[in-house]
Amino acid sequence: MAEESKAQGPVNPLDFWKQWSETSTKMWTNVLEGSKGTFVDPYGLYRPWLKSIELAQEQMKASTKGTINPTEFWKQWYEAATGAWAKAAEMGGDPLGLTAQWLEIMEENRAKIFSGGTVPADPFTFFKQWYDASSDTWAKIVGDIIGDEKFVEKASQFMESYTSYYMATRRANENYFRNLQLPTRSDLARVVKIIVALEEKVDRLDDALDDIEDGNSQVATKDVITELEGRLSRVEKKLDAISSVLEKLEIVEKLAKHTDGMEKKLDKVLEAFAKNEAKISSTATKVDVEATRKPTRKNARNPKANGSKEEVEAKQTV
Amino acid sequence: MTSEDDTQLDIESNLRKYKAGVQIIFEGARADTGQTPKEIIWTKNKAKLYHYKPTVEKKYPVPILLVYALINRPYVLDLMPGNSLVEYLVNRGFDVFMLDWGIPGDEDSNLAFENYVLDYMPRAVKKVLRTAHAEEFTLLGYCMGGTMAAMYAALFPGKPLRNLILMTAPIDFTAENTGLYGLWTSEKYLNPDHMAEAFGNIPGDLVDTGNRLVKPVTNYVGSYVTMWDRILQGKPMDTWLAMNKWVNDGIPFPGATFRQWIREFYQQNKLVKGEIRLRGMRVDLSAINCAVLNIAGKKDHICTLPQAEATMNLISSVDKEFFVLDAGHVGLLTGSDAKKFLWPKIRSWLELHSK
Repeated sequence: MAEESKAQGPVNPLDFWKQWSETSTKMWTNVLEGSKGTFVDPYGLYRPWLKSIELAQEQMKASTKGTINPTEFWKQWYEAATGAWAKAAEMGGDPLGLTAQWLEIMEENRAKIFSGGTVPADPFTFFKQWYDASSDTWAKIVGDIIGDEKFVEKASQFMESYTSYYMATRRANENYFRNLQLPTRSDLARVVKIIVALEEKVDRLDDALDDIEDGNSQVATKDVITELEGRLSRVEKKLDAISSVLEKLEIVEKLAKHTDGMEKKLDKVLEAFAKNEAKISSTATKVDVEATRKPTRKNARNPKANGSKEEVEAKQTV
Repeated sequence: MTSEDDTQLDIESNLRKYKAGVQIIFEGARADTGQTPKEIIWTKNKAKLYHYKPTVEKKYPVPILLVYALINRPYVLDLMPGNSLVEYLVNRGFDVFMLDWGIPGDEDSNLAFENYVLDYMPRAVKKVLRTAHAEEFTLLGYCMGGTMAAMYAALFPGKPLRNLILMTAPIDFTAENTGLYGLWTSEKYLNPDHMAEAFGNIPGDLVDTGNRLVKPVTNYVGSYVTMWDRILQGKPMDTWLAMNKWVNDGIPFPGATFRQWIREFYQQNKLVKGEIRLRGMRVDLSAINCAVLNIAGKKDHICTLPQAEATMNLISSVDKEFFVLDAGHVGLLTGSDAKKFLWPKIRSWLELHSK
């Protein structure tokens, strides 16, 4: 019972903050220590900070006075913090020169804060004062660093590596799921693309309907449709007339073809006549020569009446 | 009550405050944002077009269409009751619409500016005009939404576009004007094609990190110092929570648009040269001839003053005004200074140009 009432009793604010500080520091230290060795330490900058709080606590405990003046406490913290950081920098943990600049800011702030008189016991108020005093300088330093080509070059290299790694992992995962006959994000994306394309078509219909409603497109009335029907049937009749004319044209074409055929045949006949005539004339010359030498009775009687043998054959062919 | 009791109460109260702070850090800020009553009047893929319900009689026949960037959520324009540009305009008789691009999925990685400026925006404009029964409208673009609004205005000049308001809209991407972004996005250090190929859509966290790194101490430490200060002093947390929620609510950047944004805007500065082409259509800013209000912040590190100011010499508008505020990229839009300076300026300009 005595212990219970003690636990519920009033608490000294300074004790409370000491306990809070101790608990939270232990918690964070455990978290950070737990990750040590497994990954590259992303909390490098915070370790000295936590270490400094631990050191300050130890110094507080070692104090023989029992109660501590806040100014004294924060001074001790500053000293512990700057000491820890300086040590870290000496051990080569400061590739960008951040710690050196940080220490300068700390010194500057120490002067600013402690020259102001009272120093708050509340850690937050103290931190706020510290932030207000240092943020501009710190922002400038960080700005200079991230605006430096060396930093951007390193960041760019990191980004390229990360991007390549991400791409490789993504492809490997896609292939893995594909081999397992399971749908991947790409498959789902493909399906959604189809839906989006469908939506696009619906949008166009929607647009067209809107246009009709807004009067941008005129609606076809019954009268207009009837008139269109009449015009269509008239056009149909004209088309029929044209097709009948075309049919007639086909007959004429056939006749023309026949005539062409006849013409060709006649040409052949004429050709044949011409050849025959040429032969006849040559034969006639021979006969004339012979006739002058020894005229037959038949030739003497009617020399042009029957023609030559070739002439007769030609006539029969025609 | 004794002094011991007081001390006990103080400690309990402080513990409660610390618990609240730690909860915000670990679980993220929670706030009801975008609360101005609205209805969705059109959707396309992930995009939604909101029509804010009028609270007073409509005074101006020209509706306003708000267009936000692709990389953050648009509710920053309607952050919370009492701290919302949308609410302010609605309460003053304006007919307000907002185009929310939504959160792109893997299937949207090939969406480019062509899709947004030539497909989404014209359709949204049609819906706005139809819903508002209007023949003209005012287009208000914020941040990258401003760049997109300028491209739209250049490609579709004349009716129905009557007014154009550009808020912190980057137009000139000359390396000297773009500050740290210019260095980080230079061809030497950033290959957007490689990133788009790897990620599809560029993750929101990655984009956020890039934006925050421009002012790392303020964004990573200062913001939380303010939080603890407000909590421990018992000050209202609503605005801080809403802003913090928005800051951490980044969305993926569609891969194809990211390529264009980095390559053609940041690396090649094609917009001011008139070399941006969307489906073969040249984006010529000199084609913009409507009334223009161009707003920029002196402390803006995302869209620097010269980036926005360049617009004034590129457009053909006779009625144009460049309005500069002593504020940053987001501070310009929300908070007490916005209420005092920005919102009344927009209202008075719109009153003159919406009759």
